[in-house]
Amino acid sequence: MHKLASLLFAIGLAALLIGLAAQLPLGMTPMVVGQAILEQAPGETGSANIVTSVVLAYRGIDTLGELAILFAAATVAGLVLAPSIHAESRLRAKPRHDAGLVLRAGSDLLFPLLLSVGFYIVLHGHLTPGGGFQGGVVLAAAFFVSFLARPARQPSHVGIVLIEALAGASFIGIGLAALLGGGAFLQPVLDKGTLGQLVSAGSLPLLYLAVGLKVGAELSGLLAHLAE
Amino acid sequence: MNALALPVVLPLLAAFLVRPAGLASGSLARWFGPLVLLLCAGMLVDTALLTHGQPVSANIGGFAPPLGIVFYADSLALLFAIAVPAFALLLWPREAMQAGGDRISALMLLLVGSGTGMALSGDLFNLYVFYELLAVASFGLVASSGSARAWAATVRYLLISGFGSVLALVGVALIYAQTGTLNLAQLSEFAPERLANPLGLAAFACLLIGFGVKAELFPVNAWVPEVYATAPKRVSALLAGVVSKLAILVVLRLILLVFDLPEARQSLLVLGLIGLVSGELAAWRARDLPRMLAFSSIGQLGLLFMAVSIPGVLGLIAALAVALHHLLMKPALFLLAERWSGGLENLAGAGRKAPLAAGLFTLFALSLLGVPPLPGFWAKLVLLLGLGQQDAVLAQAAIFGVLLMAVVEAHYLFRLVGLLYAKTAHGAPPHRMGDLAVASLLGAILVASMPLLPALAQGLGWMAHQASDVAAYRAVTLGSTIPGVAP
Amino acid sequence: MNPPDLITILISGGIGLVAIGAVGMAVSRHLLRLVLALAIAEAGANLLLVLAGYRWDAVAPILTGATVTRPMVDPVPQALVLTAIVIGVGVQALAVALLIRVKEAYGTLDIRELKTRVEQEICGAAGIAPPESANKPGGGQPYPVPVTTSRESA
Repeated sequence: MHKLASLLFAIGLAALLIGLAAQLPLGMTPMVVGQAILEQAPGETGSANIVTSVVLAYRGIDTLGELAILFAAATVAGLVLAPSIHAESRLRAKPRHDAGLVLRAGSDLLFPLLLSVGFYIVLHGHLTPGGGFQGGVVLAAAFFVSFLARPARQPSHVGIVLIEALAGASFIGIGLAALLGGGAFLQPVLDKGTLGQLVSAGSLPLLYLAVGLKVGAELSGLLAHLAE
Repeated sequence: MNALALPVVLPLLAAFLVRPAGLASGSLARWFGPLVLLLCAGMLVDTALLTHGQPVSANIGGFAPPLGIVFYADSLALLFAIAVPAFALLLWPREAMQAGGDRISALMLLLVGSGTGMALSGDLFNLYVFYELLAVASFGLVASSGSARAWAATVRYLLISGFGSVLALVGVALIYAQTGTLNLAQLSEFAPERLANPLGLAAFACLLIGFGVKAELFPVNAWVPEVYATAPKRVSALLAGVVSKLAILVVLRLILLVFDLPEARQSLLVLGLIGLVSGELAAWRARDLPRMLAFSSIGQLGLLFMAVSIPGVLGLIAALAVALHHLLMKPALFLLAERWSGGLENLAGAGRKAPLAAGLFTLFALSLLGVPPLPGFWAKLVLLLGLGQQDAVLAQAAIFGVLLMAVVEAHYLFRLVGLLYAKTAHGAPPHRMGDLAVASLLGAILVASMPLLPALAQGLGWMAHQASDVAAYRAVTLGSTIPGVAP
Repeated sequence: MNPPDLITILISGGIGLVAIGAVGMAVSRHLLRLVLALAIAEAGANLLLVLAGYRWDAVAPILTGATVTRPMVDPVPQALVLTAIVIGVGVQALAVALLIRVKEAYGTLDIRELKTRVEQEICGAAGIAPPESANKPGGGQPYPVPVTTSRESA
């Protein structure tokens, strides 16, 4: 009876949404803010990737909120999974063995590759698809691959705490620097350079670097907590 | 007013830095959070004094809205923005001051930053982001009591809240597909043409359910009793007192600026009435104090939703009065419940052991009920006047519901007060000094507001006029002129 | 297939995912499945959000140096979706962390059983008798032994 009722509810919800979506002007939705941003963004931020302009400049405080959410999730996971007596006895009972030679050699090979791909994606965020979030995930994957191959070698918690704190603080710091310089919080500063060059778009690549390190550190911290 | 971003950003910065500070020095980490909150509250009060309550706005990133995100501070927004750090300071968790409390400190700071952001932001998606941050931080604070039942309650809270977020996201998508903008001021320009249709109503319903999770709105409030019974009482006080008001502030802004439709107001009235009736009846049946307070909080917030549904300035005054009254009341009641968390029959005679706590409890119970000279009476009176203004059958039924539920409320509250003063021995531990001091402070504010009622009513009326002035909102956020700012 | 048909398919995909997630959340009793259902519904909502700015005749909003001959899609929903996805990841990771602890403490992830256990604990802590269970069989019969399949216990 309960299942039938919820099934009917979901079918009703879907029918309602389909009925509503049929009225939407999809495929030719009105572009009000989007059109204005497309016209002004290259001149105002100097970034070739306009999505990056939106993420870091026009809606920069959303991105700050998002970083804070990741930070909050990692903090809560750490709070909930903080090693209890129960968990410690289990760890002692089951020593962790390293993976086999193939996996260890593979992870050694992958680690520098993943690191460089991650930083490449982060640093080219203002030119090509990608950026701090995508690159940060690749960075976290680099650390997690080596953790999977050698479970006994724990990632340094202090290191992760310091990186996530400094990366988050430098994102806000760049924003506050603009504020102290007489502008608004998170206003793009520094020289915009030539559109399409690696060194261009002012402070946006720096912000994306902070985002990348922060995301990488938060995800490594989360995965390390979950793995323990 | 570019500095308007600071009270939102500084708590986030402090939250990022509190753990490394804890690595360096334990006492630094302990006092860091409260000091930053004090600074933020000071900055907000300073803004309020500087602007004389006139609305101001700040363009984040220096981009003129609607392209960039804008913060908007009128007296209503500033009032709630100041309440967030102020109540967080009053209800600062005891665990955060102990060794290893740096994580809880960080979560409290994130809660304050996001809460202030929700009060100030003038962008729909930005509101969603701050709301999610508020949600994640409150999950952590609920789970921080460390008991298995708190974790289980948090999981349920998280799932209901997550479902609400999905609906809110669908609502944002529907609105963006119709209008192509997320700025509330610009949405208010487009709304009569593009959102006064079934699609707009559906978007409103999605957003209402989404933001309603924190405001204990009827279909999505199943988490309330478990969470308030298992979370640390100071966290419950914060969630029921402050966080729920911020969610309602967002709904109020949406209905004032964007969805000024009779259907939207009717749905609020119906959901509020259901919440009131179900909450009060469940509180009447509850057998322990924390859950009685949790259910009565659902009922009180139902009352608040009914006040929000009343159109015009009178409705806004009613909503403000009910909200402020509940903001003072609920945290104090939860603090008093800290040591009285057993079954109701175990409380017999507790008032003779702790006369101050029982006296405060009786004062709050009388005001909650709406006994004449107390502020709670005036709040309910304005609400009933607002409902009586309307001719609809629904409003008449709502008046009947409010009066009937007052009787139910009277029955369980008087039963409890009677128990407190019963002539039997009682062995409950005494209240902590800190809890009693905060509860007494809130009680003193409540009593002190009685002689000031005429001035208070005038202030609320002025605030309501300002908040309902959609043209001023547009002029300040979108226009180039910023009136009334003394350099 | 001409492009407007593609949009119809994508839209029904988004709505379908939200509906599947909603059904999953209403029907499932296992907490991990509830979290998965939430993730599916979130994916649907994200798809709907990014479709709100989609134009079938437009290209990605990245300047490549070449002269632009076709219009570009709305960049704002893409940025919003990026934010929404990351928020979703954080909340799901948090949910999994809590599930680990709940499983350790109660040995089960069945939501009804957990609800009863939590209710009993709360009442026990308050010193009052727990309420009669709504799922209790009538006639004073004992509870049936819970059936655990090998899949669930694994």
